[in-house]
Amino acid sequence: MQDTFQTLVSGLSLGAVYALVAMGFSLVYRTMGLVNFAHADIAMIGAYAASTFYLTSKLPFAVAMIVAILVTGAIGLVIERVLRPLENKDFDLMLIGTIGFGIVLQAVAILIWGTTGRAVPSPLASAPLDVFGIRIRPYDLLVMGVAALAVVALSFFLSRTKRGAAMQAVAMDHEAATAVGIDVGRSNALAFAIGAGLAALAGGLVGPMLYVDASLGGALGIKGFAAAMLGGFGSINGAVVGGIAIGVLDSYAAGHFQGYSVLVTFLLFTVAIMIRPTGIFGERTVSRA
Amino acid sequence: MKTRLSGLAAIVIAAWALPYGLGTYTIHVVNIALIYALLAIGMGLAMGISGQINLAQVAFFGVGAYGVAILTTHSGYGFWAAAVLALLATIAIGLFVGIPALRMQSHYLGIVTLGLALGFINWITNADITGGADGISGIPVPTLPGIDLSSEYLYYYLEAVVFAVGLAFGLFVVHTSLGRRLRAMRDDSLAAGSMGAEIPLLRMTAFLLASFYGGLAGILYGGLIRYVAPETFSISNMFILLAMVIIGGRRSLVGCVIGGIGLTLVREWLSDFSTYAQLGYGVVVVLMVVFAPTGLAGIPARLRALRRHRRGHRATRAELRPFTAYEPVEDLAQEPGLLRIEAITKQFRGLRALDEVSLTVDAGEIRGIVGPNGSGKTTLFNVISGFYRATSGTVHFAGTDTTAARPYVLSLSGMARTFQNLRLFGQLTVRENILVALDRTRTRAIWRYALWQPGVIAQERRLRAQADEILDRYGLTDFAESPPAALPYGIQRRIEIARAMAARPRLLLLDEPAAGLNGEEVQQLIAIARSIRAGGTTVVLIEHNMGLVMSLCEKVTVLSSGKIIAEGTPREVVAAPEVIEAYLGDSELSELPPDQANVPQQDRAKEATS
Repeated sequence: MQDTFQTLVSGLSLGAVYALVAMGFSLVYRTMGLVNFAHADIAMIGAYAASTFYLTSKLPFAVAMIVAILVTGAIGLVIERVLRPLENKDFDLMLIGTIGFGIVLQAVAILIWGTTGRAVPSPLASAPLDVFGIRIRPYDLLVMGVAALAVVALSFFLSRTKRGAAMQAVAMDHEAATAVGIDVGRSNALAFAIGAGLAALAGGLVGPMLYVDASLGGALGIKGFAAAMLGGFGSINGAVVGGIAIGVLDSYAAGHFQGYSVLVTFLLFTVAIMIRPTGIFGERTVSRA
Repeated sequence: MKTRLSGLAAIVIAAWALPYGLGTYTIHVVNIALIYALLAIGMGLAMGISGQINLAQVAFFGVGAYGVAILTTHSGYGFWAAAVLALLATIAIGLFVGIPALRMQSHYLGIVTLGLALGFINWITNADITGGADGISGIPVPTLPGIDLSSEYLYYYLEAVVFAVGLAFGLFVVHTSLGRRLRAMRDDSLAAGSMGAEIPLLRMTAFLLASFYGGLAGILYGGLIRYVAPETFSISNMFILLAMVIIGGRRSLVGCVIGGIGLTLVREWLSDFSTYAQLGYGVVVVLMVVFAPTGLAGIPARLRALRRHRRGHRATRAELRPFTAYEPVEDLAQEPGLLRIEAITKQFRGLRALDEVSLTVDAGEIRGIVGPNGSGKTTLFNVISGFYRATSGTVHFAGTDTTAARPYVLSLSGMARTFQNLRLFGQLTVRENILVALDRTRTRAIWRYALWQPGVIAQERRLRAQADEILDRYGLTDFAESPPAALPYGIQRRIEIARAMAARPRLLLLDEPAAGLNGEEVQQLIAIARSIRAGGTTVVLIEHNMGLVMSLCEKVTVLSSGKIIAEGTPREVVAAPEVIEAYLGDSELSELPPDQANVPQQDRAKEATS
């Protein structure tokens, strides 16, 4: 029983990171119908940038994080600008274009930071808390807290601010949005930048939990995508639920199947998504044909 | 033809002579390049030809290579026996990975296949039988009597033969019945389904082909390197493979081959600067996607189009020729109730699009279905043709219950339809559009591709002769080789009807066939529809153009808010107060005398719809 809860706790903190990845991914998807495969690599760049500013430039962790978010936001703007001609046109081509960007970002990361990865020490060095025999690292709590804060902030932005509402309008019908005077290009760019920022947040937070190297994006990203799908593509709530589900599933699989955890996670994920292709909160039809 | 043959001969001779001019290392690189070219063909068949985003190709490669490695080193099989078993295993895995494609497409499929590939990588790096991160070494040299395949020079010839046969087979598939259907499915899977293509089986076929080529490449890799390790089958190699296919041109197998060979050579050449190379091809992929989505293979066609554009119109202008009427059938099949719809209800969440609709169409009728926008006409068609499953009620077509039948089943049993917003296969020529519908073979007939190719060729000849006949009948011969999207709207409408009729249906459903046509074209349409009926095909049409309905249909059914509010001859229907109210909202305003509805087509009856 205690083991089960222990697994649950570590699954939750990893799940919070996946949820952040999935949220950025979903935000971009719902606004512009773009499946951003480079999202994962943006998170990887975010992880590297945050760790560099934290370790090398000796900035406080929070400040390093903010700088990393700004850097990746700028990368997001570039990607959006380059792929803009394809928006709302060819879905599959856009997808491949973002994969191209992913390849570029990985190469850039290797050029800047080299092939050997780095371990980032936890900014909260205090000892694990003991709650009813379950050991909880304070850093895990921090990750969950930041993720929760990000969810609330994003929801507030989307529902209560003018720009957020404009973004929702673009998501529903980009032509109608243009007709009422919303600058769709700018709105999309903003969505992309926020998405990239969320990716950096996820990457920066996961730094002290995992090992940071150029392949970090792969592991983080595919699970983040899976989380977004499981929750329902384009749904912010879905991203959170899906992220936690994948995190917990991942952590149980790691406990029970050791080396084969990835295989087990993706087999289970495939079965789940076969049963309900639209995910938990998804309402869009899957086959766009 | 002669230049083609001599070109082919030159390539064969060059391929034969190639090893004589190369050093041992270069021939090794060439061998690797050929393996990647085979992989790229498989990837192109799934992605470019069939439109299935398959990001597990590298796993198929891995299953083939590891299959040979495990079967030879652990189980003691000979190389060729192991190769056959490994190929079968790859195909089995390929079909397994393809199962999600039955439920999801596009990016969903991409993520799931990528996840499964990641699972495979996870397994090979951890399992004992695969040697973990160390991999498996000591794969025996494949044996061929009289040829020492441990020499990379001689291995090159083995690979070249397998590659040439593989490419030829791939091209054969793409340009005949199966490939045409796969491409039709890629362009519009709904329309392809309604032309009799069994979409689920075709999607599995796409994965079967991809895994077949993947397995082949894996086996050759095992025999060449005689050592397998996880890093060869990584996700980043998957993306390189994707780059090969995109840069070469995903819709052309030759393009995929060029991409595969080219990128392998460039990668080898830049192996000291591998990170810069990675940066380079990432950038090239992005540029290609934005500026040349058809890849290198598509550039000649784009240049030609550009030149034609500059030069202005072609000297000989293509024209739409008149329609040749069908031979009237003397005894129209006397089959009352060819289509029987009973109490059909279709519910979309809160919206009841069809409410207990019952309708019977006899053989030999031309039935009109009219109604204001949003009255459920197209929903009714979608239920009849199997796109939607009715919430309740039954549909009988030609005496059998087809309530739950899939579109392709209905197509094969003699129902054809057109679409309100034209669903022609955009990347196929007009001729190919017709050929897709003409082709009545079932997907299971693809065994002939493996075992009896002459049968495929003979069938292809037959189909082409029939297609020429249909193109001629509908006056479309001049446009046979054009992509439909480049043609005027009226011609596209006619192509849709020709395509639907190519299946020789007993019942033809026309969804707003006159939308966007000018007066003259509407007259032609009326003649075509009459001739189709006289030729023995029953016609049901949805139309807003009241003039057309009045002059064409003997019987009209009026839908409003999902219910049938009137049925009878055009004159009766137009006079019915319910109809006037449904169209005009207020019966007091509608002093529309019945004669007025008989006005000619050019009036478009806009007043009736607004």
